[in-house]
Amino acid sequence: MKRAASYFLTQLKRVLRLLPAQMGISFVIWLCVGLLAVLLVSQKADEGQDRYRVGLVGDVSDSYLGFGFAALQTMDDSRLMIELIQMEETEAAEALSRGELTAVMRVPEGFVSSVVSGENDIHVTYETAQGQKGLAAMVMEEIADAASTLVTASQSAIYGMQRTLYEQEGADRVGRETDRLNLMLIHFVLSRSGFSEVEVLGYADGLSLEAYYFCRIILLVLLLAGLSGSVFFLHRKTALAGILRAGGVGALLQITGEYLAYLVYLCVSFFLPFCLLAFALERGMLSLPEWEGRGAEPFLAMLPFFFAAAAMFAAFQFFLCELADGIVNGLLLQLICGVGMGYLAGYFYPAAFFPERLRSVGELLPTGAAARLAESGFLEKGAGGAGVSVLAWLAVFLLLTAAVRQARIRRG
Amino acid sequence: MLTKIGDCIVRGWLLQKRLFKRYSFLLLLVLPLLLSAGLAGLAKEESGIAAIALYVPKDDPIAGQMGERLLGRESVFRFLSCANEKEAVELVEAGKADAAWLFSDKMEETIRELAEKRRIRPLVSVVERKESVPLILARETLSATVYPAFSYAVYESYVLEELGFTELERETIRQNYESVAVTGSLFERVYSDGSTAQEETFGYVQAPLRGILAVWLTFLGLAAALFFMQDEERGVYGRLSGVRRFFAFYRVGGVFLLDGTAVLLLCCRLGGVFTNLKREAVCAAVFACCVLAFSDLLRLLCRTPGRLGAILLPLGAAMIALCPVFFELPYGKAGKLLLPPWYYLYAIHHNQYICEMAAYAAVLVLAGAVIRRLRGRDS
Repeated sequence: MKRAASYFLTQLKRVLRLLPAQMGISFVIWLCVGLLAVLLVSQKADEGQDRYRVGLVGDVSDSYLGFGFAALQTMDDSRLMIELIQMEETEAAEALSRGELTAVMRVPEGFVSSVVSGENDIHVTYETAQGQKGLAAMVMEEIADAASTLVTASQSAIYGMQRTLYEQEGADRVGRETDRLNLMLIHFVLSRSGFSEVEVLGYADGLSLEAYYFCRIILLVLLLAGLSGSVFFLHRKTALAGILRAGGVGALLQITGEYLAYLVYLCVSFFLPFCLLAFALERGMLSLPEWEGRGAEPFLAMLPFFFAAAAMFAAFQFFLCELADGIVNGLLLQLICGVGMGYLAGYFYPAAFFPERLRSVGELLPTGAAARLAESGFLEKGAGGAGVSVLAWLAVFLLLTAAVRQARIRRG
Repeated sequence: MLTKIGDCIVRGWLLQKRLFKRYSFLLLLVLPLLLSAGLAGLAKEESGIAAIALYVPKDDPIAGQMGERLLGRESVFRFLSCANEKEAVELVEAGKADAAWLFSDKMEETIRELAEKRRIRPLVSVVERKESVPLILARETLSATVYPAFSYAVYESYVLEELGFTELERETIRQNYESVAVTGSLFERVYSDGSTAQEETFGYVQAPLRGILAVWLTFLGLAAALFFMQDEERGVYGRLSGVRRFFAFYRVGGVFLLDGTAVLLLCCRLGGVFTNLKREAVCAAVFACCVLAFSDLLRLLCRTPGRLGAILLPLGAAMIALCPVFFELPYGKAGKLLLPPWYYLYAIHHNQYICEMAAYAAVLVLAGAVIRRLRGRDS
């Protein structure tokens, strides 16, 4: 036991040597995260920038189309979300590639006559700056579908009315009645939100989106911390492990000693960023809806929960680096496992977006257990089942790491 | 010349054997495949950015049609059918649904009444746990579901009252409407290469897969750099200098990335995000070259495995934040231009980015050559 303790102290000394660089790196990372957050918040505060900017290319001088777009920009609810800017093709393409526009909408020649004739065979195309379609594009398709339904249903009503007039020998009234019905339908389209009345129950047993991502981002950084802590795993020799074992420090004791030192290394390296976070919360530079006006106190109360998650993630990183023969493979394993498991546990998209079975899989994973624990901490509930899961995963990873080390020593 | 090529292939093959002997290297080639196949399998289940409990009265034909339309369509929202209002609201209260849409029991009658009065009044009661962006968007879908029936009722009453054709039978009015009814969408999403979004049939659960794989391949290139640096420390390349060491690194990185590119293409196929072979192969090949040059430059700049290892986390965080993997931020264009996955993720549908990626790779090679020149023999 004495030897095990002295092995731990040796590892601790090693950690102390590596700490300054590690602290510098984690400081830079958190500075970047902070800058990004400030950028997002400042952009959101600027109302003009909050709307999607869509470039409109094509001839909209036609009275119908011109009126439609003017109505969209002045009367419709969508004006609060979308800003339409008339542009030339080249200008729009350049702005899209510079990231100044969310999308470019092209109104092809003959579109209005296609709509007026009811053929609808010419489409307004929209091109976004994105690569392959993602969630945002799919949401946009949903909105485009809704907009299209509003237009085609109105068209059908007008054409039906025109046909009835022609059949009833009222062709001379077609122009006037078309304008009247058109205006009436436009009024209804603009008032469409009146079809529903909304009652908000205001249940708050879940986290707000801000709080959800606050917890998930911290967990993600802790999960991937092993990538920058990789220097700790350099220059580890199986021969040394064999000698230690012969000296009475078995695989489990070796792992425990190294793991504890690594945990100290991670905790100390995250000390400064966590202090900065607490400072920002205390001074109101950063605020979450649930913690409004409470300063850093709830965050400090959450630290034990984050510590438990960090301890489990450290054991996980330790296991992967032991499993991989070499630092290179260890790092790659950490990345693919971290990003994959983080995605499944809802670290990037809210877990509620996923199918039921995928959500269950995510909750069972170590990342899911840590997320549930952080949520319990945030909602000021006890650690409960999530705490047990995290501790169980921690024990499993340590035992597995010891088993891998044992096998390695035997193989020589 | 042929001897040199043969020699290069043999060395590459020996390195490949050395890598394949490491079970953890095989594991990290297999893990992305498992992730892709697993995601594709699980994504087939029903999912949505918001779950909406629907109560549609069975004896009202108009409400029935609206319910069928909502439940039958492909959507980013998940609709849950409920037998009564109470059940729908209970789902919201229990947190199993984000909102409940309760259709009026007298939908047909109310719509007709409102159309005659030319007024809009609530036809659907919406009960929400908490207001959110997905639920605001969902209400646009709700409006678009109710509007066709309402606009038809307006048309009918307009023909009867405003046009004065009171003697016309409702059936004739309906036939006139149906004979000219307009269907189909007015909007179509296109890419700059002319392909349409309809050609892509995957759901949003699989959408980030290509981005994850792009980040993974970049890290594989950096792992090759670390691997090479460790060999350098052991003196494996001690006798090589200048151009020969440059080729030695490109050989090592080439072997890593050849395996990685094959896995990337296979993963895209398994995950259901594959477009077409020619495009995928060209993009992946240019991307692999770009990653190789990028890794070489970082290797030269960092000089030691410790330093290179230390920048992996910030680099990974930057790639996840700035490249369109999970979401797209409209800021930091300059930073985006430095990251190879950013070009690759755009290049898959925009030819211009393939050229830009190739140009960026050439710039990286040049920058590497300049650094080598400045440092002299040992780089």
